[in-house]
Amino acid sequence: MQSETQNKRPLRVVMTKVGLDGHDRGVKVIAQAFRDAGMEVIYTGLRRTPDEIADIVLQEDADILGLSILSGAVVPLTRRVSEALAKREIDDVLLVVGGIVTPDARQELSEMGIDGVFGPGASLSEIITFAQSNVQERSLT
Amino acid sequence: MTAKTEAHSIPLKNPREDWESRHAAALGDLRKPTFETSSGIPIKAVYSPEDLDQLGWRYDVDVGYPGDEPWTRGFTPGGYRKRLWEIEMYAGFGSAEDANKRYRYLLENGSTGGVSIALDLPTQIGLDPDHPLAADEIGQIGVSLMSLDDIEIMFDGIPLDKAGHVFTTGNCIGPLAAAWFLALAEERNTDPGCFTLQVQNDPIKEYIARGTQFLPIEASVKLATDMLQYVSENVPAWLPISISGSHMKQAGGSTVQEAAFTICNGIAYVEACLAKGMKIDDFGDRIELHFCTEMDFFEEVAKYRAVRKVWTRLVRERFGGTTRKAQLFRLHAATSGRPLTAQQTLNNISRITLQALAQILGGCEQTRTASFDEALGIPTELAARTSIRVNQIIGNETGIPDTVDPLGGSYYVETLTKEFETRIWDTVAEVDEMGGAIAATKAGWFQRQLAIGAYREQCRVESGEQIIVGVNAFKSDEAPPEQTFKVNPKAGEHQLAKLKALRERRDNTKLHATLEHLREDCKSGTNVMPAMIEAVRARATVGEIGQVWRDVFGEYQPQSERF
Repeated sequence: MQSETQNKRPLRVVMTKVGLDGHDRGVKVIAQAFRDAGMEVIYTGLRRTPDEIADIVLQEDADILGLSILSGAVVPLTRRVSEALAKREIDDVLLVVGGIVTPDARQELSEMGIDGVFGPGASLSEIITFAQSNVQERSLT
Repeated sequence: MTAKTEAHSIPLKNPREDWESRHAAALGDLRKPTFETSSGIPIKAVYSPEDLDQLGWRYDVDVGYPGDEPWTRGFTPGGYRKRLWEIEMYAGFGSAEDANKRYRYLLENGSTGGVSIALDLPTQIGLDPDHPLAADEIGQIGVSLMSLDDIEIMFDGIPLDKAGHVFTTGNCIGPLAAAWFLALAEERNTDPGCFTLQVQNDPIKEYIARGTQFLPIEASVKLATDMLQYVSENVPAWLPISISGSHMKQAGGSTVQEAAFTICNGIAYVEACLAKGMKIDDFGDRIELHFCTEMDFFEEVAKYRAVRKVWTRLVRERFGGTTRKAQLFRLHAATSGRPLTAQQTLNNISRITLQALAQILGGCEQTRTASFDEALGIPTELAARTSIRVNQIIGNETGIPDTVDPLGGSYYVETLTKEFETRIWDTVAEVDEMGGAIAATKAGWFQRQLAIGAYREQCRVESGEQIIVGVNAFKSDEAPPEQTFKVNPKAGEHQLAKLKALRERRDNTKLHATLEHLREDCKSGTNVMPAMIEAVRARATVGEIGQVWRDVFGEYQPQSERF
């Protein structure tokens, strides 16, 4: 989408809460960490639908989409967001998922092609490094 | 307040400065650059009578005896000598049938605090399981309750008087939770006063930190105080509101902010009740303030002591509460799930023990205890039982509960208690300046404070400035535990089938009449409770009632924010 300009402007991040889960401590912590790493961050607020999220990603021309899910529904909700992105042919946004992720859920997310999955205990630097290096890899391909 | 106390004016031959200068070398070169509490209160090497003198501390004014004003040492003269604290466990998941099994298990295993019901998100947000947003969440983080039918199932085989105390988190659905249990008692021909229903019914902090809001904040406060009014007038044994700090703390608030923000929200509810013409003397003792206990041990003890002091003074001076009944709110403490780690989960038993001890030393009579595997999901039965045992060990093996307020008079704890008191009053003044808690919430002020606190803490943990054993220090390679509890995968399907059957079975004409009555009462500003009870009896579902509220009051809109 923005591969030739990606290195010239700050990375743009949309952080969001999907589904009904209302715990947004984590998402706001990551938002501040991405901000302090030089990115432009918008947090959508709670309970956004997959379609709303995909629309915001388009509008914001986002490089990274951070999904925060602390309920037990991480797999189906992530799948729906992926589908909403695919429906709009958004294939160059890096999807990063954070929250309570069981080993089974991690496996399922991996099978969906999502490797940026961070559970309790993940560090900010680990998440930032993952985001920066994977976005860059994408921009090179 | 400047008079020195007799008890602490014993002349010391070598005052503190002298001691400090003589031991300057030994007092330097410390293991940390600064010592402060989790709320940022500086901690001295030692506390002595001089500290209390400097604060103008007086035993009679600041502390007094247990069961006497200013209630610092506790609300009852005998403390735990009379009876130990209540031990509640929090549970609930899957369908009403699944929850029923767990409650029976807990009651049989010594949970003395009754039944504590966690609700799933659709229920809390006023949505039926067949709503598109509900699909993945049915029964996930709590039990799914759709209608009075589910309340009956959930309490099958559990007499209400045997359950004794029934707690639930309904915050933005407070009137619905109360209506369900009024109707259940009616069906069983039981006096609703034979048990205590307690509903959290605290919507303001949902907008600040917990996130189940679905109406504009003013409408939520109106509904919550309608319920509070109806219950305090009709079932005075119930506890219609639990104003909660724990979620704000878990969202990033310091212990001081937890206490202060909760008190600010409490002021907003009481003022809304007074505006309805209620008198604090009639409902002051129906109010619960709920906090969570984390790891900064002495801060937590000081918090509980200071909160008793501040709230009762507010009741007296700001709300005109003249009676003991008005002042003696219920103070509830729960150990926090947040400091519990997913790594080395057995370490959490130590954390839970220390937290439980702090809230006991803070003089809390009602306590809830988390389970050691909570960071991984809903607690297993083993973990839930162990938490009950932690309380039983403190209560029966240690001698800790054998005297009242054993930390009273500790130079450090008394200093911290005073400091908390001062900082809470400062925050109350600041929020008053913004127009009160509702205005401050709408402006996002509380939310920003919490987000900043959460980020600061995360950075401290990652830099190693704040140590969490097993997470950023003292790590070990261990496989993640396998025994995590799994929600019955059929729960969602089961609830959907029941919902469909209910819609076919009930008298829908009668149902719609009750929903129209509710709509009219919402529009006219009448107390919604009588119409709520009618609708619930007619088997209105949570989603149908939620929709009436949404139609009349409008829907909460999330706001995007740039960081």
